[in-house]
Amino acid sequence: MKRLPLEGVRIADLTMMWAGPYATRVLAEMGAEIVKIESPRAWDNVRTLLPIEHPQPWNASWYFNDYARDKKSLTLDLAQPRGRELFLRLIEKCDVVIENYRADVLDKLGIGYEVLRRARQDVILVSMAGFGKTGPERDLVGFGPIVEMMAGMSSLSGYGDDGVPYKTGISYGDPVGGLAAVSAVVLALIQRGRTKQGVWIDLAQRETMAQMAGDAFAAASLRGEKPTHCGNRHPTWAPQGVYPAAGEDQWLAISARDDAEWRALAGAIGASDLAGLPLAERRARHDELDARIAAWTKQQDPQVAMESLQALRISAGRVLNTHDIHWDPHLLGRESWMFLEHPCIAPWPQPASAWRLEEAQPVPRRHAPLFGEHNREILCGLLGVAENEIAELERAQVISDAPIGARVG
Amino acid sequence: MSDELPLSGMRVLEIGGGVPAAFATRFLAGYGADVVRSEGAPDALTSDEQAALLGGKRRISVSDAQLRTLALAADAIVEDGRPGALAARGLDPHALRAEKPALVITSLTAFGQHGPYAEYESTNLVAHAMGGIHSLTGVMSRPPLQNGANQAWKLLGMNGFGATVTAYYGALLQGEGDWIDLSAQECAAGMLELYGPRSGVDGVPSPRLGNRTNAIWGLYPAKDGYAGVCALHRQVPALYGLIGDPELQQPKFMDPMERIKDDAALGDKVKAWFAPRTKAELVELGAKHKVPIGAVMTPLDLLGNASLAERGFFDEVATPSGPARVPGRMFLGLGWRKGQLSQPGADTSAVLRDWLGGAR
Repeated sequence: MKRLPLEGVRIADLTMMWAGPYATRVLAEMGAEIVKIESPRAWDNVRTLLPIEHPQPWNASWYFNDYARDKKSLTLDLAQPRGRELFLRLIEKCDVVIENYRADVLDKLGIGYEVLRRARQDVILVSMAGFGKTGPERDLVGFGPIVEMMAGMSSLSGYGDDGVPYKTGISYGDPVGGLAAVSAVVLALIQRGRTKQGVWIDLAQRETMAQMAGDAFAAASLRGEKPTHCGNRHPTWAPQGVYPAAGEDQWLAISARDDAEWRALAGAIGASDLAGLPLAERRARHDELDARIAAWTKQQDPQVAMESLQALRISAGRVLNTHDIHWDPHLLGRESWMFLEHPCIAPWPQPASAWRLEEAQPVPRRHAPLFGEHNREILCGLLGVAENEIAELERAQVISDAPIGARVG
Repeated sequence: MSDELPLSGMRVLEIGGGVPAAFATRFLAGYGADVVRSEGAPDALTSDEQAALLGGKRRISVSDAQLRTLALAADAIVEDGRPGALAARGLDPHALRAEKPALVITSLTAFGQHGPYAEYESTNLVAHAMGGIHSLTGVMSRPPLQNGANQAWKLLGMNGFGATVTAYYGALLQGEGDWIDLSAQECAAGMLELYGPRSGVDGVPSPRLGNRTNAIWGLYPAKDGYAGVCALHRQVPALYGLIGDPELQQPKFMDPMERIKDDAALGDKVKAWFAPRTKAELVELGAKHKVPIGAVMTPLDLLGNASLAERGFFDEVATPSGPARVPGRMFLGLGWRKGQLSQPGADTSAVLRDWLGGAR
């Protein structure tokens, strides 16, 4: 089997919640060895964000487990000198450190970039605070929706008739920041290969989010444009929209990009009387066309309607909800979902790697680690800590196999 | 090209030229690659998208035979044509990879290179609908709502950027590239936060929650627009301290399990606290008290943002309509090359000379 691109790269992962863990999930899929480091007193919040009925809820969260697969878990209390010392010994053996703490936290823990460099001269540090490490807004605290608001993105989405901006239904700033962080890690590795020097990357999640609206910044700077909410319509072609289908909360997205596509659509929905409308009239009479399309789609099974419209070369797709998407024939056909055995919870459909390297074929290999599952492997096997020291570290609560004072939230 | 840029020496051929490929290669160019764009349809990008995505690229107009020769001189190809479009032009990915094993080919499509929908027609809206995020955005009383600014295509492009540099890194180390099949649908379907895995576990579709996931995680009207708060349990005391309502100290609002039951009442209190305050006041209070509070800013607002200015976030690009300011480097710490716009086909001779005319 061909090797994955990042095999041989070891990453110390201090990230929590979603942005950083999403980055390290992708890096793991690409072959990197991820050592996820959590404190017994300050664990990744996602483990316990939701109430889970299980004796070890911190190990049984599907939310956590979906994004922590293929990683190793090391617990270390970085607030204790012994924990910090072991962490820096680990850094000697890591290519990359990645963290998404608030901007001031890494330095307060005494493990800022200069400290890391003393442990390993060519180490790469990727910091991904919400608003970056510099600038007057560096102290702002932010999760994905905050980042989305502050990046201009939420201002661009809305139904258009109520003036209300909408956040994305997921914490969109997180995975976008995570994807950018993957690129940052790899670019730094490429550069290090040539220069033999490490680097500190300051990634502001707000800025990576703003990249997703570059054309809106061009419009604002060139013409002073303010966002116009257009619902599901398109700024140029018509009609386009999301229309109700048969079934509970079932919807079809349809676009008619040109005259030919509109003629085909008009024929399919029994609106041949309108098939000859030019674009300008279609735009002017969009509400009327929407009503005609909806009158047809309401009677249709969404899957059947999508397939029949696509057979006519019309751009149409179901709005797949979070349940139906696991049963979509195309995703099933592409083996986009896979199952990993887990010691605490029954397997559930997890996404395969979206980055389909056709030859290297990245496949998630192992369930997310239990809390502190790899303490011995890393401390004894990698760092040479004596077995009898492990019990001492546990007594001092430098390491642990369960969060101390675990609670929901 | 400067040796100080991380991708100095990398040659990238962009084929197709819609938003996904143009987005991915925008950052390859900025971080130092020599990106050559073979134009797609004339209307593949709006003028604003061109301003945002084409800076620093060279633009060529060549025959399919010349394109093939350039492909074999490239380190990576990034394309967003329909499945089979490359092969139809004599650039079959398998054949190219056989001739040049180190070549990375990144194919960006709505549904991927194979599978029942591979040949489906798609737009940004349709691709967005099929990826799951769309179903979660907006409110239940209305249709699911698309994000603004073509997010399905840009998210695909963001994945394309990362996957291309990752495979290129592998090629540098191992001498072997790869053919990467990225679908917009899969890129979105794998990042449905807690909602995707939860439905995978319990079989129940997650609803659209609008702007309020719960009372302390959502958007509210402010005096001059909209602002929002996203507080974890550990940040609740600070948030309640800001609101200053003694009733919030009761267990029914302090306990995370009890709080859910009184979410509407709590939401009313948060709403009432947001309403008379300006966005700037709210953001400042959040920073001061370490409560995650933000405000809905527009791109126009952000062009004047002091933090972005100090961090040198924007590039200025000359366009026929005047200078445009667009997002520049993705992150700080690596060299970035600000690039200007070239005209379609303007760089054909230079590229043929540089890539085919002599040693690199």
